[in-house]
Amino acid sequence: MTAVSEAVTSSAIRTREATVRRFALTDTIFRTVTRLSAILVLVLLGGVAVSLIAGSWEALSKFGFSFLTTESWNPVTENFGALAPIYGTVVTSAIAILIAVPIGIGIAVFLTELCPRPLRRPIGIAVELLAGIPSIIYGIWGLFVFAPFLQTTVQPFIINLFHGIPGLASLFAGPPYGIGLLTSSLILAIMVLPFITSITKDVFDTVPAVLKESAYGIGCTTWEVTRRVVIPYTRVGIMGGVMLGLGRALGETMAVTFVIGNAHRISASLFAPGTTISATIANEFTEADGELYTSSLVALGLILFIITFIILALARYMLLRIDSRTGA
Amino acid sequence: MKPMLSTDLNVAETTAEKAKIEVKNLNFYYGQSKALKDINLSLPERSVTAFIGPSGCGKSTLLRVLNRIYELYPKQSAEGQVLLDGKNILDRSQDLNLLRTKIGMVFQKPTPFPMSIYENIAFGVRLYEKISKAEMDNRVEQALKRAALWNEVKDKLNASGQSLSGGQQQRLCIARTVAVKPEVILLDEPASALDPLSTAKIEELIDELQADYTIVIVTHNMQQAARVSRQTAFMYLGELIEFDRTEKIFTSPREKRTQDYITGRFG
Repeated sequence: MTAVSEAVTSSAIRTREATVRRFALTDTIFRTVTRLSAILVLVLLGGVAVSLIAGSWEALSKFGFSFLTTESWNPVTENFGALAPIYGTVVTSAIAILIAVPIGIGIAVFLTELCPRPLRRPIGIAVELLAGIPSIIYGIWGLFVFAPFLQTTVQPFIINLFHGIPGLASLFAGPPYGIGLLTSSLILAIMVLPFITSITKDVFDTVPAVLKESAYGIGCTTWEVTRRVVIPYTRVGIMGGVMLGLGRALGETMAVTFVIGNAHRISASLFAPGTTISATIANEFTEADGELYTSSLVALGLILFIITFIILALARYMLLRIDSRTGA
Repeated sequence: MKPMLSTDLNVAETTAEKAKIEVKNLNFYYGQSKALKDINLSLPERSVTAFIGPSGCGKSTLLRVLNRIYELYPKQSAEGQVLLDGKNILDRSQDLNLLRTKIGMVFQKPTPFPMSIYENIAFGVRLYEKISKAEMDNRVEQALKRAALWNEVKDKLNASGQSLSGGQQQRLCIARTVAVKPEVILLDEPASALDPLSTAKIEELIDELQADYTIVIVTHNMQQAARVSRQTAFMYLGELIEFDRTEKIFTSPREKRTQDYITGRFG
C-alpha cells in the first residue's frame, strides 16, 4: 500500500522534474535571444559610429578642430569647414521646435480638455495624417507654393515692419528670396507638429481623471488645471515628444534641401539662404570626387550624429534635474 | 409610489439646526439611465452626514452632484434643486469655480498634485487670494496642523507630495481642501485605500473638523459611518431609503431594507 503510493509519488516527481527541465531549456533560449537582440542594438550603434569616424578620418586629420569653426566650404581649393551647416541645422531645428511645441501642446490641450466630443476624432486623425505625408511633398509644396507666398507677401511685410529697429532689422533683413532659413524652419515646424501633438495628447490622456477632478474640485479653471497639474504630471512624456520632434527636425533632409537655398554661409538674417548638415550631404554626395571632399561630407554626418547624441543626453539630464527637484 | 420620506425625516428640523445644504427632488442621469430618483434631504450645518449603501446605490453620485464635479463629463445631467444656504447651485448662472472653493472634495484615492508638499497647499490658496509669503507660510502650516500632518512633514515641505505614504497623502489632500477655507467638505470614501492606523487618524480629523465645517462622507464601511457621523442616509438603487440620526439608523431603523443592510444581510 505504502510502496504503491510511494511509487506513484516518485513517478509524479519525475514527470515534474522533466517538465521543469524543459522549461529551463526554453527559458535559457529565450533569455539568450532577447539578450542578443539588445546587444545587437549596441553593435549597430557602435558600427555606425566606427564607420563614421573611419570615413571622416582624412578630413578630420587634415583640418583638425578648425573643421568645426571654419565657415568656408570650397571644393575647388579643397578647403572645407562645417560651421555653416552646423549653424543652419541648429538654427532651423531650434526655430521649428520653438514654433511647434506651443502649437502642438495647444492642440493636445484642446483635443483632450476642451474639444466637443464629435470633433475629437476628425481633428486627431487629421493631425496624424500630417505625419504621414512624405517629406518630398513638403519639399515641393514648400518650394512652389509656400516660398513664393512668403516672398511676395509675408517677407516684404516683415522687412518693412522691423526696418530701422536694431537687432530685429538685421534678423529680418532683405532681400526676400522666399527660400531660406526661416522658410525651412516653418516647413520643419509643420513636419514635427504631428509628432509632438500626438505624443502630448497620448500622455495627457494618461492623467488620472481623479487628479483632474481634485484640481477642478478646489476651483481651478481649465487653464490652471492644464498648466499646474496636467503638464507637470506628464512632463517626461511631453519631453519625449519634443525630443522625437527635434530628432526629426535635425535629420530632415529632403524638404529642407528644397527650401533652404543651399548656400554655405552664415548670415544674420533668417531670410537669407543657408544650408544644413543633411541638406549638404544630400546635395553634394554625387559630385564629391576627391577623397577629402567625400571624407568631409562623412565628417558632417559624424557631427550630426554627435549633435543628436548631445541633445538627447541634455534632455535626459534636464529630466533628472526636474525629477530630483520635485522628488518624484 | 412616491417615497414618503422627504420632510418627515428632516433631521435639520427635528434638531432645530440650520440646514446648510438642501436637496430637493433631485434626479440624476448617466445618459439614459437614471442613477438618482427623486432625492430629498437636508444636511445640517457643522456636522457630519454619512451616505451609506451597497455599491452602485448612487451615494457617490449624490456627492458628486453637490459640487457639480459631474459636469466634467458629457452625458451626465442633474434635475431638481440643490440649495446651498438657500441658493440653488444647479442653476446655470452659478459660477463653478466659486462653488468649488465653497465646497471642497477629497477623493477615494489620494491625489497629491505633481508639486511639492508646500505648493500642494499654497496652489489652491493662491488661486483666489493674494497673500504675502509669510501669510502663506502661516496658512500652509495651519492647514497641515489641521490635518494632523505638520509634525511629519515640517522638515520636508519642499519634497514632492507624491513621496509621502498613502495615509499622509490623503491627509495632505484634506489639508489642501481645508486651506482654501471651504464651507462644506465632501469626502468620497476617504479611508478606503488606507491602513487601519491612517484610517483612525482620518476619522479623528473628521471629528475635529466638524466644529467648523459641514461634512458629507460617503463610506462603504458601516462602522466608520457609525463612528464619525451624526446623521446617516441609507441609499439603495438610486433612492434615499432612510435618513435619520446615526444612532437611530444603526439601532432601530424604520425600514426593513435599512435593517437588512446594516446587519449585513445584503450589500
